Amino acid sequence: MGNTWVALKGMLEYIGLEVVVPPPITKETLFLGVQHAPEFACLPLKINIGNLIEAKKLGADVFIMAGGTGPCRFGLYAQLEKEILEDLGYHYDSLIIEPPDTGYWQFLKQVKKIVGKASWWRVFQGIRFGYQKALAVDKLEKLVEEIRPRETVKGTADKIFQNALQIIDRAQNFGELEESYILSSEKLRHIPKDERKKVLKIGLVGEIYTLLEPFASADIEKKLGYLGAEVRRSLYLSEWVNEHLFLKAKGPSIRDFARPFLNHFVGGHGQETIGAGVAFANAGFDGIVQVAPLTCMPEIVAHNIFPEVSRDCGIPVLNIYVDEQTGEAGINTRLEAFIELLEARRKPDGKVVSKPDAVQGVAQDVASPIPREAAQKAAHKEGPDTLTM
Amino acid sequence: MSLKVGLPRALFYHTYYPLWQAFYAALGVETVVSPETNKGILNKGIKCVVDETCLPVKVFFGHVAELCEAGADYLFVPRLVSVEKKAYICPKFMGLPDMLKASRIQRPPLIAPVINFVKVTPLQKILDECAAPFTRNRVKINRAWQKAWQEQKQHEENLRKITPHHDLTILLLGHDYNVYDRYINMDLIKKLQQLGCQVMTAAHIAREERDRQIEKFPRSVFWTYGRNLIGAAYHFMEQPGLKGVIILSSFGCGIDSFIDNFIIRRLTEQKIPHLNVVLDEHTGEGGLNTRLEAFVDIIRWRRDYHQGYVSPHGQYLGSAERNA
Repeated sequence: MGNTWVALKGMLEYIGLEVVVPPPITKETLFLGVQHAPEFACLPLKINIGNLIEAKKLGADVFIMAGGTGPCRFGLYAQLEKEILEDLGYHYDSLIIEPPDTGYWQFLKQVKKIVGKASWWRVFQGIRFGYQKALAVDKLEKLVEEIRPRETVKGTADKIFQNALQIIDRAQNFGELEESYILSSEKLRHIPKDERKKVLKIGLVGEIYTLLEPFASADIEKKLGYLGAEVRRSLYLSEWVNEHLFLKAKGPSIRDFARPFLNHFVGGHGQETIGAGVAFANAGFDGIVQVAPLTCMPEIVAHNIFPEVSRDCGIPVLNIYVDEQTGEAGINTRLEAFIELLEARRKPDGKVVSKPDAVQGVAQDVASPIPREAAQKAAHKEGPDTLTM
Repeated sequence: MSLKVGLPRALFYHTYYPLWQAFYAALGVETVVSPETNKGILNKGIKCVVDETCLPVKVFFGHVAELCEAGADYLFVPRLVSVEKKAYICPKFMGLPDMLKASRIQRPPLIAPVINFVKVTPLQKILDECAAPFTRNRVKINRAWQKAWQEQKQHEENLRKITPHHDLTILLLGHDYNVYDRYINMDLIKKLQQLGCQVMTAAHIAREERDRQIEKFPRSVFWTYGRNLIGAAYHFMEQPGLKGVIILSSFGCGIDSFIDNFIIRRLTEQKIPHLNVVLDEHTGEGGLNTRLEAFVDIIRWRRDYHQGYVSPHGQYLGSAERNA
């Protein structure tokens, strides 16, 4: 799942286990998964199955998977994967880690089963080490997100970031990790860029897997970056770990923002999606992009509610569902159109007009069923400059 | 003028209508139920929600739109999170009132109690909320509840009665709102009966039996419908006689995408023929008729002519395996 492997591998190796990292996800992986997974299953499951088949070929014999108690389908992933793989003749031992809220004792027992002889102190240090790696990767990623739209030579930041991942992966202890982080962030900071460039700010929200795994979302984050937008995601691995495993909540939860639009937990990250959308709107972002796997239940609920968020907070939202269709042209076109629409919403002096119907008119002209006259009137108020952008 | 509560004939109405109707009747409140699903209702529903939403929810919105036109003073749309311990309904049910608010249907105020038995919500609180617009008299509310609950139990008992008088039993596995909505499933039950089949559904199996059977499944299933279907499938496997299973699900149903796969795997092991019918907005009946006839014929041929070459493995009887 994206760069999660760096952190997980760091943690497990620190504890003293041998780790097989499945090869990066390719069309081949997806193809394997699609062939064997149920048709209406969500994309992450399909990719997961592909990963597991590929890892088996590299000699893995245990898979560790998180469990869950619903209502999102993820809670039954491990069971379904096991049955499908068994039918295909791939024998895996699976370790399913139920979340701590079903009882800490159970949780610890399962952890012990995985780590074998390693001492609890070692395990604790391992988890801390993995978390530190995740933190380092996330901090660098946020830097990259800022630099991408502004760098003079497109692609520099991403190259450095890929390199940084390798170095962080190689770090064996806390000292080396610290060093590699500082080195990489310095490199990133020295990328030549246009500091004064006015860039759009876009909030990327949605389902966790599609947010964290670039392959699953057809690299939406990068694409938006190169189109000239600074992207912020609603989820980063280290934050997620912090909230769910260490059960630490910092300040008001993102879910609180979801009221009054979505007043109840709907499984998965549905409520977080809406909450983050509202939070981004409040923070003055220019637009929101929601990504989710097709048939994802919580995200469909969120999708149904987004029009209201968009109306009330005056922020345009683009919803993108991803599945095994890997054609990118469609997504590219939609992203480009969305970016142009956001550019057009800005006033010539670079200030965003957030609420009034005037600007909505221009935006609506492209996408929504607002009466034509209203849109034209609005466009007139706006002045001709914005229209030609 | 007495106040009227609108009950959309969709989703959980099909499971709990005796309860809801009896409850409001005992409180002396008039209820309006939307008519049975028809093309107009479905079309209205499709316009209200995003395309990716599943068919039953679209139908639900159609019924709401229909009721709003008919003029109800309140709409009863409970937020059904969970009706039993350790099992949810479906994320979409949890967000139903919110989705309704976000849609632009002109609607009367909602009665939307949160019903969640994973975290125990006190029953009294739910009842108070249901009755809030009409009465605050606890005695009256509780009496109404007792009566409604009896009614519901009686209804469930009635559903369980079967008198077997056909040679072939078909287990119809599907969510109640698909099984009992005769429009969206194109009157599947009647079609099967005309083909001379005994139709069984998950409702025929008592709750205790289901809970006993579900123990066979290696992990806990956290959806009530998933539990019903898997429990019913396990129970059915143990029954003697000529039998087949039809799995009825709606296009893009997240729960069924997993549950169906689990069930099909187990049926295949037991060599029980099965057919997977997926419902969506299309209304052509011809295809469904052909499939049902073929399915029933093949099961009978296997018995009558001992035709071993008819695959029992489901591969040619419509399975979920993509490469079949």
